[in-house]
Amino acid sequence: MRLCQCFFIAGVLLTLSLKAQNKQILYDFNEIPQSLSVNPGVESDFKWYAGVPMLSGISGYGGSNAISINDIFANDGIDINIKFRERALDVLTPKDELSTTIQMEYLSGGFRSENPNIFYSFGGYLEFDNIGYWPQDYAYLLFDGNADQLGRRYDLGDLKVRGSLVNVFHFGINKRIDRNLTLGARGKLYSAIADYSSSTNNGHLSNVEGQNNLIATNLNADLQLRTSGLRSLRDANNDDALGNEIISRALFGGDLGLGVDLGFTYHLSERTTVTGSLLDVGFIYHSGDSKSYSLKGNTSVEGIEIDVLENFASLDRDFWQELVDEIEEVVPFETDTKGYVSFRPTKLYASIRNDFGEPVGNGGSQNCDCTAGSSGGGELRTKYRNSFGGQLYMINRPRGPQMALTGFYTRRIGNALAFKGTYTVDKFSKTNIGLGMNLQAGPVNFYVMADNLLSYNNIAATNYASFQLGFNIISWGRK
Amino acid sequence: MVRILTLIMVGLLLVTSCSEEQDFDQLDDLTITPDYETSIFYVKAQETLINRVEGLDFFTQDFNFDAFEEPFFAERVLAGVLTYELENTTSKPIEIRLEFLDEAENVLDTEVFSMDAAPTAILQRDVAYGATGKSLDIIKATSEIRLTAINLGDNTSESTLQDPAIVLRSSAQFTLDIR
Repeated sequence: MRLCQCFFIAGVLLTLSLKAQNKQILYDFNEIPQSLSVNPGVESDFKWYAGVPMLSGISGYGGSNAISINDIFANDGIDINIKFRERALDVLTPKDELSTTIQMEYLSGGFRSENPNIFYSFGGYLEFDNIGYWPQDYAYLLFDGNADQLGRRYDLGDLKVRGSLVNVFHFGINKRIDRNLTLGARGKLYSAIADYSSSTNNGHLSNVEGQNNLIATNLNADLQLRTSGLRSLRDANNDDALGNEIISRALFGGDLGLGVDLGFTYHLSERTTVTGSLLDVGFIYHSGDSKSYSLKGNTSVEGIEIDVLENFASLDRDFWQELVDEIEEVVPFETDTKGYVSFRPTKLYASIRNDFGEPVGNGGSQNCDCTAGSSGGGELRTKYRNSFGGQLYMINRPRGPQMALTGFYTRRIGNALAFKGTYTVDKFSKTNIGLGMNLQAGPVNFYVMADNLLSYNNIAATNYASFQLGFNIISWGRK
Repeated sequence: MVRILTLIMVGLLLVTSCSEEQDFDQLDDLTITPDYETSIFYVKAQETLINRVEGLDFFTQDFNFDAFEEPFFAERVLAGVLTYELENTTSKPIEIRLEFLDEAENVLDTEVFSMDAAPTAILQRDVAYGATGKSLDIIKATSEIRLTAINLGDNTSESTLQDPAIVLRSSAQFTLDIR
């Protein structure tokens, strides 16, 4: 039995589980104002634009490079315990990623300065970002335990997880330096609602043959979990005031940070263009409601050990409690409320594009307030019906940078419609085909984009999917 | 215009997707029952000590043992096996008696080990608890372990083996119901 579901529901289902933050369709799709969000140095020709509040940009991603919802939850009559063992426990490794990002833009706008070469943009968005890797040895310890595994070292470094819920305010400047070069920069103010991170863990747990007793259990641990905001949210939830607390922390009542986005567009020739951007070079200082937990030390335990001759005068001691105390002393579990700094997941985009075909409209410079491609001021370059090229995307992750390569083709149909198709290769998928559509109906702009389309015949079976949509009001000004 | 409408339709189709039926209630059937293993206690009594104590019971001691009473363990344990290994290198036959006591010091269970004088083989015994063995309630209620060692020989002979002693080693393997 198959259930047809709308894209949105499927997207939400996916984001509940599993990602990458690559916005390869939106990147360099400069008919859409939100393309400024992935390259503040994009060439823009708007006089002004205003995003429809809460609808100017909604995006979600769900991704795992090795497992899908369908693998576990398909209604196929197979025992979930068998599916979990065969498709997760015995297959996934600590390199396999399980992550989610949801971004909701609630404020978006921009306007051109009196100097037509300068465009200002501003806005705010909420971002939930979570990344984790399959904690293989923890999973084996949880599902199988350590029995009959003498000599096996369980790697405690397998636990790497990081996540945050952040409200971001931003203000950017985009300046056309000359006919060939456009530069952009955007400052960001982060107000973190919640943050958690446990990504620097090391150590191992093992059972070996004991020197005195049958088994010696060895623990070497250097584990740390840092959190911020979670206690406030929990307390507020208990008081039925969770909404107020989230709003308070989102509006500078939480942990604050600063960041910057940089970008450029440069024309190598009339039809060949290179672009690049560096996003979220920033940090957040967590201090108001931070709490860290750590477990650090070494020990080897062979149970309660009593040498009657040595302890003859003090056999009434509580050997069990002494053992517990000794372990807690050498491998202390500690908490503290010191502040800490977290760095934002920095992203890098780069592209090269070649335009070809007939120029769009009147050489790309329209004289009405109703079409894409017209000029808000200044001399604009001609837009062409077709573009193709390649893009590179990289993001900083706990286990090192992740990369994606994209080939794209853009087709402009009149001044009202533009499509961008992409093919992307990354760790999530080798068959990721995406499509974006931008529709300009007078001043109303609507765009929608989704990728990994080949998987949509069974969305639950995909390892990766993303979607993005939005509404804007755009003016190019009248001459 | 027709072409534009066609393309819009294609776009709409693309944002409409299908999914095989998913049954998230299966999660209720997921079971997590790992087996954990670790040493329990190790007791060594040297022959020189045994020879110094008059009478049969050369050693009797109650030891606090709260490990089995810990709520995380007691509420989840499904089955278990205690493994004992007894080694006697002394010159006398020895009996070891292990009694499991609850908080009121009632005896819940007793294990008796009889060892001949050295040279003798190491005695190994597995005691199961749960569906195929003794009652798990014994384990869950155990708060203390009473260890009694009885010298069934004399108080003068000395083994020629190196460091003669009676040694009790033990480990436990338990299955827990985590989910």
